[in-house]
Amino acid sequence: MILLLPLFIPLAGALFVFLCRNPRVVVRAALTTGALELAAIGVTVNSIHSQGVLTAGRYLRADGLTSFFLISLGLIFALVLVYSSGYLRHVPEGRFSSLRWFYGLVFLFLFTMVAVYLSANLGMMWIFVEATTLASALLVGFYNTEGAVEAGWKYLIVCTVGIAFALFGTIALYLAAVKGGVSPESALDWGTLMAAAPGLVGGHELLKLAFVFVAVGYGTKVGFVPMHSWLPDAHAEAPSPISALLSAVLLNCAMYALLRFDAITSRAIGTGFSHTLLLIFGGVSLAVASLLMIVQRDLKRLLAYSSIEHMGIVAIGVGLGGALGLYGALLHTFNHSIAKTFLFFTAGNVREKFGTLRMERIRGMARSLPWTGGALILGALAITGMPPFGLFVSELLILTAAFSTAHYFIAVLMLAAISVVFGALLHHFQSMVMGKPEDVPVRPALQASWFVVMGVCVLCLVVLGVHIPAAFAAVLRGAMAVLQPAVLQP
Amino acid sequence: MGLFESAAARALASSGVFLFMTVLLIAAARRISTCIGLYSLQSLVITAQIAAVSRMHHSAQGFAIAAMVLTVKVAAIPYALYRIVEELKAPRDVSSSTSPSQSVFIAAGLILLSFFAVRPYVGVLGGDQAMLAAAVALVLTGGFLMVSRKKALMQVVGLLVLDNGIFLAALATTFGMPLVIEIGIVFDLLMGVFLMGLFVFRIRDTFDHLDVSKLRRLRG
Amino acid sequence: MIWAMNAVQVLLLILLAPLVRGVIARLKARIQNRRGASVWRPYSDVFKLFRKEDLVPASASFVFRLAPIVLFATTLVVAAFVPLLYGSALVGVTGDFVLLVYLLALGRFFLMLGAIDGGSSFGGMGASREALVSTLAEAPFLLALMSVAIGAHTGTIAGIVQWTVGQNFFQFSAVHALAFVALALVAIAETGRIPVDNPTTHLELTMIHEAMVLEYSGPSLALIEWASAIKLTVVMALLIALFVPWGMATSLTAAALAIAALVLLLKMAALVLVLALMESSVAKLRMYLVPDFLGVASALAILAVVFTALMR
Repeated sequence: MILLLPLFIPLAGALFVFLCRNPRVVVRAALTTGALELAAIGVTVNSIHSQGVLTAGRYLRADGLTSFFLISLGLIFALVLVYSSGYLRHVPEGRFSSLRWFYGLVFLFLFTMVAVYLSANLGMMWIFVEATTLASALLVGFYNTEGAVEAGWKYLIVCTVGIAFALFGTIALYLAAVKGGVSPESALDWGTLMAAAPGLVGGHELLKLAFVFVAVGYGTKVGFVPMHSWLPDAHAEAPSPISALLSAVLLNCAMYALLRFDAITSRAIGTGFSHTLLLIFGGVSLAVASLLMIVQRDLKRLLAYSSIEHMGIVAIGVGLGGALGLYGALLHTFNHSIAKTFLFFTAGNVREKFGTLRMERIRGMARSLPWTGGALILGALAITGMPPFGLFVSELLILTAAFSTAHYFIAVLMLAAISVVFGALLHHFQSMVMGKPEDVPVRPALQASWFVVMGVCVLCLVVLGVHIPAAFAAVLRGAMAVLQPAVLQP
Repeated sequence: MGLFESAAARALASSGVFLFMTVLLIAAARRISTCIGLYSLQSLVITAQIAAVSRMHHSAQGFAIAAMVLTVKVAAIPYALYRIVEELKAPRDVSSSTSPSQSVFIAAGLILLSFFAVRPYVGVLGGDQAMLAAAVALVLTGGFLMVSRKKALMQVVGLLVLDNGIFLAALATTFGMPLVIEIGIVFDLLMGVFLMGLFVFRIRDTFDHLDVSKLRRLRG
Repeated sequence: MIWAMNAVQVLLLILLAPLVRGVIARLKARIQNRRGASVWRPYSDVFKLFRKEDLVPASASFVFRLAPIVLFATTLVVAAFVPLLYGSALVGVTGDFVLLVYLLALGRFFLMLGAIDGGSSFGGMGASREALVSTLAEAPFLLALMSVAIGAHTGTIAGIVQWTVGQNFFQFSAVHALAFVALALVAIAETGRIPVDNPTTHLELTMIHEAMVLEYSGPSLALIEWASAIKLTVVMALLIALFVPWGMATSLTAAALAIAALVLLLKMAALVLVLALMESSVAKLRMYLVPDFLGVASALAILAVVFTALMR
């Protein structure tokens, strides 16, 4: 029953916000709903750790992996809500563009993502991943400019096509299960499939086919390279809080779906095929994204390509497998979420004060916007994997995994890509922060909420970079245990 | 009734033929409304196949799915698309980058390709070869339509044809998935079409045209 | 006995051809909310023309006077290939479907020559357009017939008809569906109906066949009009015989033949209705789009042939 709370609260919040007329009440309602949701997630996570796997009915399930991703979702969502309340003071009024619509759609979006995490059934998971695309399309096109409409359209079309391929993969897996003797009503249930997986060896051609389609399909939503064309547009044209949600939470959501499928496939036919495919997608995404980052001219597009790069790293981590690789990959999703959110909030500030996101027109932030400029440099250091920030630890873990499993090519590729990214980001950001400002804009007052949000981000990153708290490590180990029942502690 | 049964059974066994014809005709069509009508026809053929399979296995669930597909894919979505075409008041031709005869040649090539692609997998996937080939042909043609047609609404139609193909592949291999899942899938499609319709109007209002090949502001 | 049956089939085709044309014209008029001429009008036209004088341009040679005769003769022979009521035809040799295509082409070729020989610019223009259309229509015509013949494992039209009658109506075959659409498109081009050519136009922009016969008068014109009516009927009968021959008599009894005649009447009526509806609702294609129209027919015909190998 507890599982229904995190689902019900966002729906109720969305309904309330849609019916409400007063903007101030809307914001307050949104913050309240966010707080309630955070509490609900906390309760759920606690129950999972005291009671083990939770199920409700045939379609809801929460285990260690769910709790890990829910924590990440809850944290980022809370930060985004607090930031939006300050950022969205002036919303262009238009069809489907008003404060009411923003918060309403955001809560619907939250609902769909929580539903993905809580799905017990692969078909249900598919339905809600597609629903995340639908819920966020209007948010991407929120500003109604030419760029926003084009980005929203591309996002909708490309992701729907991709998800349709994932549907075929899901069906192929269902077919393999039914042929392997699982009863049709429960052939899409993840728990049942994990239990029956070793017996599905006979249909390994079908399983491989299924995984390929799922990797291409859900990979489109993760942003793997041949299918990534929607990502830079959507993440750049959306309002900054939405960009943060897309980069930090939605990509993780799609990766979660991939992880669930990989678990079943690995248990059935061994890790060779699925992990090789993930390594290929991860490596190509990493290489292409890092190269493309050099030539970017728009700040948020740059950050979007950085997201593609980091998702590539996560895929490599999963593809390397074993305790080190998986632990590093999961930790990296969390670290990347926080660092990317931090950077997108900074970009939001830049946009608000400078009126543009073209990096060539932004100069001298050290003098005109010292706090934001500082945050930008901090964020750049964090995202490129410098100590003492958390990404250093997770990337080091993945590199270690690469060396220890003799995947030298991947390790070298990763090191090269990280260096390229470091150079590109620092070059771009340095020219934005240094130099003389062209005109001195009125130094706007930074709200307290901004400081709180940014502070929380930095704190998390530093804590995870220096020493991972035992409780958090336990959550991570629990998540890993779900995916690889044979492999436990690192 | 025996004659009717056997006639229906034979007709359904050769329903792949109908689907191939719709593929070719949709490639040759020059008006958006023709394409929408052909999509509706395709969905009707697929509904008939679902009904036949349900009849053979005596499954009430299958009939429910057939009824749902009938309401949504044969009636609701095409009707909504027709209304959008009317409301847009834009030229109703399919701006295509290939002429009708070139498109038919390409569609014919895609049909042949799908036959050859399906051949090695018939044993693995089970199911009737013609139906599987029709499913792959629908997917490929949907993709072709999305790539070669420049009108935004035609991209939606291409997407719907592609989705029909995947639905048919599911039907040809498994015997239908649990009802709740099927309902969810169809509901997602409906919502998707609704949103895409919304975006088509937005594109028209923002850009003053409906030519997606001109949406090239965001590059790199 | 069979010989008499086949001769009757040919005579029916020849004598009823103008009626078919008349019915189509009357039906179109009705659809367009006019009263239209009587269905026997084409007959009175032919009789009238036979009584009139044959005017020949001064610069014309013997070709001008020969062309209508050759056209009529080839069309008559073609009429002898098509079974109507019973699964056999007056003339049937292996490969007669190829002969059919090229006999029609021969007639058309002579008409083009006659038009050019007439010396007017209309004739030349009509001939050049007709050349384009007929060149492009030849390939799909042959390929579609060939695919059906391969499917029936026989080389005569009568043989194809007999094979098809033996098939189950509900077993739809991809080859036949594709060949039918291809042949329908080609039939429109061959008989000069909308959307390829307008048979009732007097605007030179939209003329193909009309432009070629502009210089003809009297009995020559009567022969040409009659020949084009026979061609229309033969093509329609061919489509019916190849694709929906069920109902044809399988034995030479009076009852079976009567039923066959009735069924044929119904099928022809249906085809006439479809043709009239289509002509009233579709616009004529501009000249540069006609190759594309026939290109679609070609693609379908090629696919039909490829499918004969695939569906084995």
